Amino acid sequence: MSAMVDITFKLNGINRKTRVSATMSALDMVRDVLGLTGTKYGCGEGECGACTISVDGITLNSCLMFAADCDGRDVMTIEGLAADRKGEALRDSFVEHGAVQCGFCTPGFVMQAHHVLEKNPDASEAEIQRGIEGNLCRCTGYRKIVDAIAGVAAAAK
Amino acid sequence: MSTIQHYAAPRSLEEAADLLRQGNVTVLAGGTDLMPQSKAGKLKFQPVLMNIRNVEGLRGLTETGGVLRIGATTTITDLYDSDLVKSRLAALWQACDHFASDQIRNAGTIGGNICNASPAGDTLVPLLVLNARVVLAAKPNGALTQRVVPLREFFVGPGKVRREPSELVAAVEIDMPPPGFVSAFFKFGTRPALDISTISIGFGAVYEGGKLRDVRVAFGAVAPTPIRAPHVEAALEGKPLNEETIVAACDAAGQDARPISDVRASDWYRREMVRNMLERMLNNVRNG
Amino acid sequence: MAVKEAVKDTEAKTAADGGTLIGKRIPKMDAPMKASGKTRYIHDINLPGQLHAKILRSARVHARIKKIDTSKAKALPGVHAVITAADVPNQHPIGVAKDHLPLKTDRVRSLRDEIAAVAADSVEIAEEALKLIEVEYEDLPILSDPRDSLKANAPLIHPEPHGADGTHDHLKQGMPIAYTGKKDNIAMTFDYAQGDMAQGKAESDIIVEDCFSLHYVTHCCMGVSGVIAEFDSSGNLLLYSNTQVPFLHRREFADLLGIDPGRIRIIQPPIGGGFGSKLDIYPFEPIAIYLARITKRPVKLVFSREEEFVASPTRQPVLLRLRSGCKKDGTLTFREVDTIHDNGAYTSWGATTPFVMMQTISSLYRVPHCSYHTKAVYTNNPYAGSFRGYGNLQATFAVEAHMDRMAEAVGMDPLAFRLKNAQEPGEVTPQGMNFKSCGFKDCLTTAAEHGDYERKHRDNATKWNDPNPIKRGVGMASMLHVGGGAKIYQSDGCGTILKIDDFAHVTLITGASEIGQGSETVLSQLVCEELGLPLSAVTVVNNDTDITPWDVGVHASRTTFIAGNSAIGAARKAKSKILGMAAAKFDTTAEALDLRGGFVIDKASGKRLVDLSKMIRSLHFSDKAELVMTTFYYEPPSRHQDREFKGDVSAAYAWASQVIEVEVDTKTGIVKIVKVSAAHDVGRVLNRLGIEGQVEGGIVMGQGYALTEDLMVENGTIRNPNFRDYKLVTAPEIPEMDISFIESMDGEGPQGAKGVGEAPAICVAAAVANAIYNATGVRMTELPFTPERVYRALHGKAAPMTWSDAE
Repeated sequence: MSAMVDITFKLNGINRKTRVSATMSALDMVRDVLGLTGTKYGCGEGECGACTISVDGITLNSCLMFAADCDGRDVMTIEGLAADRKGEALRDSFVEHGAVQCGFCTPGFVMQAHHVLEKNPDASEAEIQRGIEGNLCRCTGYRKIVDAIAGVAAAAK
Repeated sequence: MSTIQHYAAPRSLEEAADLLRQGNVTVLAGGTDLMPQSKAGKLKFQPVLMNIRNVEGLRGLTETGGVLRIGATTTITDLYDSDLVKSRLAALWQACDHFASDQIRNAGTIGGNICNASPAGDTLVPLLVLNARVVLAAKPNGALTQRVVPLREFFVGPGKVRREPSELVAAVEIDMPPPGFVSAFFKFGTRPALDISTISIGFGAVYEGGKLRDVRVAFGAVAPTPIRAPHVEAALEGKPLNEETIVAACDAAGQDARPISDVRASDWYRREMVRNMLERMLNNVRNG
Repeated sequence: MAVKEAVKDTEAKTAADGGTLIGKRIPKMDAPMKASGKTRYIHDINLPGQLHAKILRSARVHARIKKIDTSKAKALPGVHAVITAADVPNQHPIGVAKDHLPLKTDRVRSLRDEIAAVAADSVEIAEEALKLIEVEYEDLPILSDPRDSLKANAPLIHPEPHGADGTHDHLKQGMPIAYTGKKDNIAMTFDYAQGDMAQGKAESDIIVEDCFSLHYVTHCCMGVSGVIAEFDSSGNLLLYSNTQVPFLHRREFADLLGIDPGRIRIIQPPIGGGFGSKLDIYPFEPIAIYLARITKRPVKLVFSREEEFVASPTRQPVLLRLRSGCKKDGTLTFREVDTIHDNGAYTSWGATTPFVMMQTISSLYRVPHCSYHTKAVYTNNPYAGSFRGYGNLQATFAVEAHMDRMAEAVGMDPLAFRLKNAQEPGEVTPQGMNFKSCGFKDCLTTAAEHGDYERKHRDNATKWNDPNPIKRGVGMASMLHVGGGAKIYQSDGCGTILKIDDFAHVTLITGASEIGQGSETVLSQLVCEELGLPLSAVTVVNNDTDITPWDVGVHASRTTFIAGNSAIGAARKAKSKILGMAAAKFDTTAEALDLRGGFVIDKASGKRLVDLSKMIRSLHFSDKAELVMTTFYYEPPSRHQDREFKGDVSAAYAWASQVIEVEVDTKTGIVKIVKVSAAHDVGRVLNRLGIEGQVEGGIVMGQGYALTEDLMVENGTIRNPNFRDYKLVTAPEIPEMDISFIESMDGEGPQGAKGVGEAPAICVAAAVANAIYNATGVRMTELPFTPERVYRALHGKAAPMTWSDAE
């Protein structure tokens, strides 16, 4: 067994203390240790974005992040974002624009969409497309996901 | 399963160098290569996993006396967001633009990209064009020392670099290019990013009065490491950028590129692309 | 609260107020949960006491298993069970041809082959235990090209029975290959003929022959495969499964375990993508069940992404030779097709796709004389399953590329040539398909108009020799697919149970599975339309075989049509009951009443007579107490094919045409899809938002099939089992999509609708091939059109695809 590491960090606004294996990914910690299953395993290699979380205000693939590296940081998962006004706006826009089908990729898209808009509230359609290039969706063909994100940007104006 | 006996997150370069001197350390920066490689069994962890993300002074860009120092834990997003990089180091900025995805750019670091030494590593090709130097820190005799290696000499093979186990890549240094310097990066792919290069080309030169000087050309994914292309450079150096020169440079590319066939492309196709895309890049420079 | 507002949807309200929900943009009912990360997929479910299972797969492509030693793995702390075939002596073969034991006995036939499995306290321990299992192999020759498998002295893939499997006298359908072996490498053959080929050839002024090669692709569901199996103390099995066919699987698992199907309950958590991948039983499911039986604990087995690439089904590669003739005026005379399907090592649904392929070949256009022959051939490659479109991407690619070649040969515009031969409403084809509604010609002209096809097609072809290395081209392709179910099994039906509670809230219990396509929402819409209720008044229960009535499964674009008609039937029965009672109460006739806006109304005046919930309560809490609960079963009026593959298998047929514009960079071979103008005959649009999503998603899946997706199998080994090198289309790559719906109002369809799920992916590759030709003058016959393949073709370096009939 690898060394265990005690970490303290903020998770969705709440201070957390937990113990993780040094080799564990942040994805496994969030899902298996902390029981937040909204963050999904899609590939484990940073190629699909289903596991996107936000750390200190920027998005990462949690499958590529070491859980121990969460120490001292501010982590937000889909559960945290969904409870936030901005997360609700994104959720509603995804729902209204038909951006959800099987939904497995959706939490990752919502997380990344939030980041794209935080960084660039006036993001153009092309910028939105580039912003979500690291998130794969097999159902929708992306069109409605782009519309949903653009819809939030437009509503904010 | 390689087991980690100790996890360390030093806060200073001194502390990090001390740990390295004790040996058996795997260095963790962004994790974007380390995590998948360890999960796939391609990388065995050393007993100590050292996370350098919290090491003070390792992240960010500073320009002093015409030298740009990029700290090892500077992320690709940091580079992409830098006005200095965007305005003065076009090739590097373009490489960041074509780098993986936003999530990976947010986590991946310049130091990690260099140490991972992929033949297709996106930032490596423009860094070669920019004559970058790798700054290695160590504490051999109780005092922090620095060793500077030209990036061109740093790569040994895929995933292999001239870093001693006791050394930490602390930064990359670049002499800011002279006025009139133009540079560009081309990455072959069907997507803007999220793609491993089939081939990539970096170009930089001072283009004045229709002539090229201080020409630097580098290729990615056509050899075991990213390489400079001396034959192409010679064909361009001091020459007027006309049809004839471009043809000569493209012919010379065949002497520099030594690609292999793999899952992404055949060697033949890679050679063709090096040629065609070099031609296109040079024409773009020519046409402003 | 915001969620409610999102779902509430003003248009949904309109319906309740007396308007209609049909054709409106209705958000999916399950979307708010999904977009909040609250939906629990199988990966997110953990049962108390649960163990985690992992499978040891073959390290060799084709080999004898000499010895398996599991002793070290068994000794690892935290390991509860390690099983091999020897531990399950009565394995029942699975799959379409029953040529497949879940755990392999003395031979492995592909790299995915399951040799052993572990149940342990954690995934990590299970993985560690796999490494401790020692297997001794003796390599056998590898067959990785089906043409080699057909050669006279080719080694056999299933030469002998699969080992000591004990008694199997409960088997009903003859002796499975797993018990008998097979003396050749041919898994299945299909031979179809109509008309008189000699006559057809004699009448032809022009004959064109083409060969096509179609590649391996795989589903890439974003949620990897998984299952949880648990036995209760009485030996009843509870399975949490991602299956698309729960009722069929119940039967199969019962056979497998030798227990009564009634003792198997399947719960389907929301599925992270299906696309046909979950229509068969795969070895991991019985293996999890074996482990649960042995350990007496719940066992969860979830794939890694790499495993998903290696061990889930594929779309089958096909080599196809096609000859057709036509008269000088463009009238088609005959068509002759031979195909070789790479079956892989075992037989799943992939082998049976000729059922669909021959429909396109015989009946997309009027072809009086036609023959079709397929051999599905064993190799040591990954085995092929069903995948959205079910053979039709392959058949349509060939037929529609070939149609352009014929148009050129006969000197006609490709659109005019297609219109000349296109089917029309009312036709019954020689294969027996009855096109009661058919918007094919509308699809052709609409797509052509939206894509400015004729002008662009003419202009582009004049620019082949222009100096600009970036070329533009347009191409078109059309398709025919089942749109009213597909009578493959004994029943193609679906049952509904509908209950309306004291508050006029409807619980719709349907056999139809939701796999993300939006069936819950469409079924609710159809029910609300009958009962005059808002969408928020419906809850759908659709994922538990102990509760839901029979349905054959979610496949063949059938759910809206079949389950929709079933739901409408149940709702109408409920309505009739309510109105009958209301008529008595208001001293009128049921015919004079209606349900709208949550009220019983007077039909003529629109006057609200009584709140529906009040009406139902008065029915319930009275001396003649009664609940409003109805059942309905819908079986479509389609027919099974006869032994010659003739019959009208679907109650309705869907049509589509797509015009695709591409940009080809001749210096790189990179092809970009610029615009897709799609026209789909969908009968009628029910949920505009949902149907757009189906079409857009299908087009982009077709784009991947045409351009980027390629499961590279070399000598039986997958070289790119990851998203890095198996390239799904990403957001910046999508084309402009201009989608038109042709509403042919099918007489049998629910509110006139037909199925659409598979259709949009089918035309893309052919249209792109035709567009590349229009841009460059180079004809691509091998998929996918990756930059290198296109570049080679442009430079005359593509090896011509040859038909070597290895009979």
